[in-house]
Amino acid sequence: MVDTNQKEFRKRDLLYVVPLWLLSLILPDPHLDHLRKESRFRRRDLFYLGGLLLLPLMWPDTHLHHLMVLAGINAILALGLSLFLGYAGQISLGHAAFFGIGVYTTAILTTRYGFPTFVAFWASALVSAALAYLIGKPILKLKGYFLALATLGFGEIFLVIVRESHSLTGGVIGIFGIPWFSLAGFSFDTYLKQYYLTWGVLIGLLLFSKNLIRSKIGRAFLAVATSEDAASTVGIKVAQIKLGAFVIGAAFAGFAGSLFACVMSTANPETFGLNLSVLIIMMVILGGMGNLYGPIAGAIFLTWLVDILGKYQEYSLPIYGLILILLLISFPDGIGTRLNIRLIYLISYFGRKKRREKAEL
Amino acid sequence: MTPWAYIPQLFSAGITIGAIYALVGLGFVTIARASQIINFAQGEFVMLGAMITFFLLKGGGLPYPLAALVAVILVVIIGFLLHITVLYPLRKASIPILLMATLGASIFISNTTALVFGTLPRTLPAFLGNQPLQIGGIFIVPQSLFVLGATFLLLISLYLLSHRTLLGKAMEASSTDPLGADLLGISRNLMVFLAFGVSAGMGAIAGIFITPIFYTSYHAGTLIGLKGFVAAVLGGWGKNSGAILGGFVLGVVESLSIAFIPSGYKDAVAFVILLLILYFRPKGILGSPFIDSRRW
Amino acid sequence: MKGKKGMVLWISFLILISISWATPAYLAEKSPYKIGVNLELTGPWAEVTKTVKMAMVMEVEKINAMGGVDGHPLELVIEDNGFDLGRAAANMTKFSRNKEIVAVVGPFEDNLQATTRAIAEREGITDIIICPSNPMVRSLNQRWSFNIAQSDIIVSQKLVDLCLARGYKKILVFPGNWPLALSLAEYFKRFGEEKGMKVIISKETHKPTDIDMTPQLIKLKPIIESEKVDALYASTGGPPGPIICKNMRTLGIKIPIIGTHAFGFNFIIALGGEAMEGVEFAAGKPVVPYQLDKDDPVRPIVIDFDKRMRARYGVGADQIAGHAHDTIWLIYDALKRCQGKVTRANFRDALENTKGLKSCHGIYNYSPTDHDGLTKRDLVFIRIEGGKFMRIKFPGFE
Repeated sequence: MVDTNQKEFRKRDLLYVVPLWLLSLILPDPHLDHLRKESRFRRRDLFYLGGLLLLPLMWPDTHLHHLMVLAGINAILALGLSLFLGYAGQISLGHAAFFGIGVYTTAILTTRYGFPTFVAFWASALVSAALAYLIGKPILKLKGYFLALATLGFGEIFLVIVRESHSLTGGVIGIFGIPWFSLAGFSFDTYLKQYYLTWGVLIGLLLFSKNLIRSKIGRAFLAVATSEDAASTVGIKVAQIKLGAFVIGAAFAGFAGSLFACVMSTANPETFGLNLSVLIIMMVILGGMGNLYGPIAGAIFLTWLVDILGKYQEYSLPIYGLILILLLISFPDGIGTRLNIRLIYLISYFGRKKRREKAEL
Repeated sequence: MTPWAYIPQLFSAGITIGAIYALVGLGFVTIARASQIINFAQGEFVMLGAMITFFLLKGGGLPYPLAALVAVILVVIIGFLLHITVLYPLRKASIPILLMATLGASIFISNTTALVFGTLPRTLPAFLGNQPLQIGGIFIVPQSLFVLGATFLLLISLYLLSHRTLLGKAMEASSTDPLGADLLGISRNLMVFLAFGVSAGMGAIAGIFITPIFYTSYHAGTLIGLKGFVAAVLGGWGKNSGAILGGFVLGVVESLSIAFIPSGYKDAVAFVILLLILYFRPKGILGSPFIDSRRW
Repeated sequence: MKGKKGMVLWISFLILISISWATPAYLAEKSPYKIGVNLELTGPWAEVTKTVKMAMVMEVEKINAMGGVDGHPLELVIEDNGFDLGRAAANMTKFSRNKEIVAVVGPFEDNLQATTRAIAEREGITDIIICPSNPMVRSLNQRWSFNIAQSDIIVSQKLVDLCLARGYKKILVFPGNWPLALSLAEYFKRFGEEKGMKVIISKETHKPTDIDMTPQLIKLKPIIESEKVDALYASTGGPPGPIICKNMRTLGIKIPIIGTHAFGFNFIIALGGEAMEGVEFAAGKPVVPYQLDKDDPVRPIVIDFDKRMRARYGVGADQIAGHAHDTIWLIYDALKRCQGKVTRANFRDALENTKGLKSCHGIYNYSPTDHDGLTKRDLVFIRIEGGKFMRIKFPGFE
């Protein structure tokens, strides 16, 4: 994957240097991550954080805030899935179901039993994670397409159960009037406040994942993704590691679902179908598998793209399909990954050139 | 009235719908036998076959058999195009990417169909009238018999293709051992290319046969494709006979389940069976030639 | 050489941009009144929303050709939401951000409506919903939301009338598992039992994506035979309707079928073929434009609309197109009554005070307590005969 791109120097690469350098400020670089002192808070992270904090204040536009709230929720979903798909290397086509479980847990707890949203928020993640544990235990022995199919089956079964248990979930009619997210009397009732809430949660989860992948478990994720056989020979319990990634991803989806329920104020089974699962996987793939900033960038990009396409009316989905295929063909390992590999190569090329010149002198 | 009284009629309904799943599942297996790719756009071929036939019949005024033939040829060309434009450039990609690429293609095809042919659901005239036949208290539409016949004809022709011709053997070789096939001078890309054509054609034939019983619409392909795939895995992934058996089992169980549980759960039944099969016997009912290979 | 090429590229790029900026400049002297349209133009419901869009575009062009609203042209800003909750909600904020947009039409499906209605309430923009079928959504009674189509309540009442006129005493309901179909079934049972009928709602349901109802109907067949049911009420919409009729006839069930207003589309007959013969239902007036009473005030409007639809798109008017037509003319009427002071609040008040507006489906009356425009009188009884919709009348049950 990496070395095919690094074979030779092309003249036109000179044209890319400046935009690539600019992009490198924004985009993550998976391969250099291991070399740096990872625990240090880097300048780039400050840049992101500042950008995030200032963005809604620079553009006081409700639509942008709303869109970024949705993007943030999608980013939480994508971040959770990227641990499973990007780090542990397994496919799940049922991630939307865990999102749905989060939404319904919050909806039921707040509207039926009057729990505060903050409690429901944590309960959503717990319920999602617990169900993921129960589901994951048997089906994670599968690999590849079969795992995709099994998770897809789980997603469909979840939808059927939601549609049919009228007394609990309101069936196809759904649940209405979920309250705003509120914390200690402070209610997040505008999109601006929800923006800070969503992205705050996302940053928290991001820090958690950052620490996680740097830990022993995180290394085990990578080992499992690379080769399950090799991982098991060095004493990694492959099944447990996969299950762990699955459960953590589901818990993230539960958080996202809880936030979504509070933002949208309704819960409805039509929202958690296969389309959403596909969209989340697309975010992870486009952002680049095997890094944490990629899925977030992918989520922002796809949420924005889908919103922009709305004005093309009937043409929006064909264009969307076409863009997806083209992006996959041109960047099969993610946009961020591909650009970064190029950049790393260029930097090393110039380094080597200098050294060569020295040697020739 | 006990549930057992419905069983015969439910069984015959299940056989009809099972034949449909089997026909669709065969298309998945054909591609898998050549390349181990799962083409999630397979359902769209089924939809396209019926849609194009409808428009040649109503718009172009062609006679029914000719319209069907032209439609099958057009869909085969679309299948070739799908391979050249999407899957060939991604031949070295990993599973998630391939999965997404075929799903993207499925979104593109179904919505472009909506633009070109309109969004209304369509149906085709039955081959031999709609008068139901009554056999011992069981009612059957004549079209179901055609669907059954088509299923078995396709099974036999696929059997002949893969066991009696060099081409079929080459296709299978390129799937089971890509490196070995390469060494023997079999062009793997060509084999996958041909497999896409064959499976698109089979999808189109399936669409033309089953649409008179139901209807087709631009978004009908996804669901039926999914069920066909489940059928193929159920019976034994990578075996033509497995897809047929899986289709019938799925159709009959789905249909019979209605006798005992509320019909809202009907769709879950298919997936519960799938999960059980995947857990206890991932090879499927008849066993699978691929299941031990490393990719699965 | 390289530089020259680059220059050419840049210049052509700039020209392209300037062209794309220049084109939308509106030629009219007065600024247009914009209406946001938030529709499911892609996804599984595109079949109905396409008609909505066609009819709306045609009517807006007609109004503009007539000189617009006091010289201001109308303009539609159409956005697709792809049957996605997040996108539909984002479209609402997009519309409310644009200060020129006076009102929003849509979304069409009720799964999305609760959220968009709540946003409309918060942002203070009128949300006109064409088909609010979820009883929970309809009962919210929000200030800024208005409903166009006949509610499930009046459709059910009209269907009960149909059964009374036909003398059916015992009805079996086979509902679809989505909000509209379920609430139609519930209201039918409630009103039917008030009139002394026996209504059985089957436990078996179907989904909009089901392609085969045979299994469910096999289970219903013994009930039909043992209970001596007079008719089956298929509380459904879209393709499942004809599938139910076809499968019933295949199974040799010969009792009459009653349908909902969602049976009043030509593609339904095309899908069902012979099996649709004799199906009866109540539907809006655009289904049978030429069979309306001579003294019906709506008749010339529907016939004119039908002719224009045929001339422009080659398909006649149907109920959905009728709703879209009515939406535009309600907006036109309300904008006129704003008397030049068009703000979002003024428009809402004007729309709420709509009285006796004659349009395709009937006569619209809104009031602060009632945001449903139509009544039971705006429905007619229809029977499918010879592959066509035929109006039927019963003395005493207009």
